[in-house]
Amino acid sequence: MKQTRYAFWFLGTVALGIAALMGFNWAAGAYILHHRAGASVQTLSGFERALKPVWLTQIRPELVFVGSSRVRDGFDPVLIDPALGVKSFNYGASSMTPYEARRFAQDALAQPSVKQVVVSLDAFTGHGGPGEALPSFDETRLAVTPEGGPTPRRGLWLFTTRFLSGGALGMNALSVYALARLKDGESAADRPDIFNAYSHMSEAVMQRDLTYRRARTLTMGPGPRREFATLLASACNAQARLILFFPPDHAAIQARYREGDAKGLEAFKQTVRDAVARHNARCPSRAALFDFLDANSLTTEALRDGRSASYVDLVHFRPPAGLWLLQQMRLKGEPSN
Amino acid sequence: MPFNSYPYFIFLAAAVLGYWLLENRSLTGRRLFLLLASYAFYAWWRADFLLLLMGSTLINYMLGREIELRRARHADRRLFLIGGLIFNLGLIAVFKYQTLFVSTANELLNIGLPISEFFLPLAISFFTFEQISYLVDADNGKTRRYSLLDYALFVAYFPHLIAGPIVRHNDLIPQFHALRSARALDLAAGITLFTIGLAKKTLIADNLAPFADAIFNAAGRGTPLGLTDSWLGTLFFSFQIYFDFSAYSDMALGSAVMLGIRLPVNFLSPYKAASIIEFWRRWHISLSAFLRDYLYIPLGGNRGSRARRYLNILITMLLGGLWHGANWTFMLWGGLHGLYLTINHAFRHLTHGMTPPPVLRMPLHALSVLLTFSATSLAWIVFRAETLTSAGNVAGGLIGMGDSAVVSFSPLAAVTLVLLFIIVWFMPNSMEIMWRHNPALPSPYEKEPVKPARRFAWQPTRLQAFAYGLLCIIAVLALSNLKPFIYFQF
Repeated sequence: MKQTRYAFWFLGTVALGIAALMGFNWAAGAYILHHRAGASVQTLSGFERALKPVWLTQIRPELVFVGSSRVRDGFDPVLIDPALGVKSFNYGASSMTPYEARRFAQDALAQPSVKQVVVSLDAFTGHGGPGEALPSFDETRLAVTPEGGPTPRRGLWLFTTRFLSGGALGMNALSVYALARLKDGESAADRPDIFNAYSHMSEAVMQRDLTYRRARTLTMGPGPRREFATLLASACNAQARLILFFPPDHAAIQARYREGDAKGLEAFKQTVRDAVARHNARCPSRAALFDFLDANSLTTEALRDGRSASYVDLVHFRPPAGLWLLQQMRLKGEPSN
Repeated sequence: MPFNSYPYFIFLAAAVLGYWLLENRSLTGRRLFLLLASYAFYAWWRADFLLLLMGSTLINYMLGREIELRRARHADRRLFLIGGLIFNLGLIAVFKYQTLFVSTANELLNIGLPISEFFLPLAISFFTFEQISYLVDADNGKTRRYSLLDYALFVAYFPHLIAGPIVRHNDLIPQFHALRSARALDLAAGITLFTIGLAKKTLIADNLAPFADAIFNAAGRGTPLGLTDSWLGTLFFSFQIYFDFSAYSDMALGSAVMLGIRLPVNFLSPYKAASIIEFWRRWHISLSAFLRDYLYIPLGGNRGSRARRYLNILITMLLGGLWHGANWTFMLWGGLHGLYLTINHAFRHLTHGMTPPPVLRMPLHALSVLLTFSATSLAWIVFRAETLTSAGNVAGGLIGMGDSAVVSFSPLAAVTLVLLFIIVWFMPNSMEIMWRHNPALPSPYEKEPVKPARRFAWQPTRLQAFAYGLLCIIAVLALSNLKPFIYFQF
């Protein structure tokens, strides 16, 4: 009966391991959702692609932010929700590819609770090809397929992602660790050592970033252009409104973009403006477009006492600046095109 | 339902449990149960194509029976055999190759034929080849008047249905009737083999894929690749497809073993091969045996002149390449391997009777392995690239013709590559680890038998159960996202 014992020990080990994993993920999920600073973990960098689609369906927000790490760092629901009186969700993820940005925005637009989807347009730059995504991105967790139909068996995929995936384990562990280190009365803003989105750009960071991003340009290749067009088409009859913005990258790095490829930058902006104008001329659900990629009070901000009040580095703005952007969008109210 | 998905784990557990309950009670019941389970497995992907599978099965079964009856009566049966071949090849032509052929004709002749968009039914290349072999064997008197239930189960048996191994009716159908005495051993060996496969897929192949994809996608966008990008892309894809296909084969065989059925060995450390001839006796063994028996030999095999033999090899490999997908790059890949095989056979002929001095045997063997690996890796470029231009961008980068920097050569990449070479060249493969416990039917190539591992051999001990259990948990954790097997698209 040696083989029976083997199967027993093997299956026992697997069953115990899976049970422990599910138990941890369940407990961690409950802890994060009910913690007063729980939503701030949406600004953490880790395994966000895996777990954020699950959180999106659990939280049922009205306002969703989609984009790269600029968005992930810059919009903290803990700060935004009381200020604007909405329930918001940060759907940002590091190095978001144009395809992922389109798909995440489609996912957000398809949620019944969502009324507005704010998308940072830097996610639609570069030369990415069709369908390109980072390893932990998974179509099956999203509400709609790339063609816009409902994803088959999504409930099952969300369940397995939430309870059984390594991505969930990583993100939950990271989030619980971050929240558990907050003392009574502390918020994420008090602990920039844990919540990096709240750290301040220093002179040294600024110089390092200028060197690191010295060859950076902001242009829109054919692949991202196609993805952007597909996103607009998806939003044409959506119940939720699409709000697009050119991100408020610091003036110092904007100068680099212009040095590198001024025509490409202007072509990117013009392509977006034209596409949005066409969209608004024919679609019942109009899109709003805001341009913060210029010289404004935020992007021209100088360091005070050796640190920035609004930036983590030259492209990542801090959550208070994110709130300011949203207030600017509300003040402007109508599309700028 | 992909093997590397949670639904499959639940499905497999239910299938094994259901089969165990019926196993000793009803021979018909257990076969019917397996058939229905296999159809459910296929329908999970797209239920409408189940009708295609069932229809194809029924038509081939009827044709096969008619051929058998006519053979027994010494009546003319050519019409049925040819009709069956046309039906099967026509099915693949319509669903798989129609777009390629029509668009190529439009391009070359500028004639503007309409292109119908067909969705490629999953596994069509596999179940069609298996049924062709049945018809040909019926014509040769090698079939045994199987029941429809047995035949349908042979075609649809879920562990081999989607991506092989390509099984023969006479390998599989007798096993559906056999009674087994070692269910516990089968379960133990099956779950272990399945775990090894799952770990190869989620921990190795899927982690190499993003790097290979990024590099080949850049080449596809017209970027002339730099030296580092090209070499890393080529090597990463060579290892990705190795572990992906090896993983699939282990999981298919492991699933079958749990149900007491042995599928043929399909993958046997192909990068240890010291020649291209040997490579094809270790890589996708069931396909190369099929091509040999049903294409190369009917073409004349090695019976004619040497030139004719080489031509037969080239034709076989060109068609074998095209079998992989509706793209001329696959045909070029097959053609490259045909060329390699021809050179290999010619070299063997030229050096026949020559033996190297003992002191040179080891270095020559190592050099041969390295040369074979390099040749197959070069061929993988055209296999992976979506267009010939894209393949050219990667191949040009190998000799420094471009200057892209999609990825950088980090110490981690170096360590990863060294580890991968150690695994594929020096470690025993899963068949060798499990061989003492009968996990598969032996290789049809007697010159490449499976040699059981010594140090790493699997034993059903408590310690190994715990270790493989942990490996299974880690592999499951890495299942964060669903990445299909490369061979699923064929």
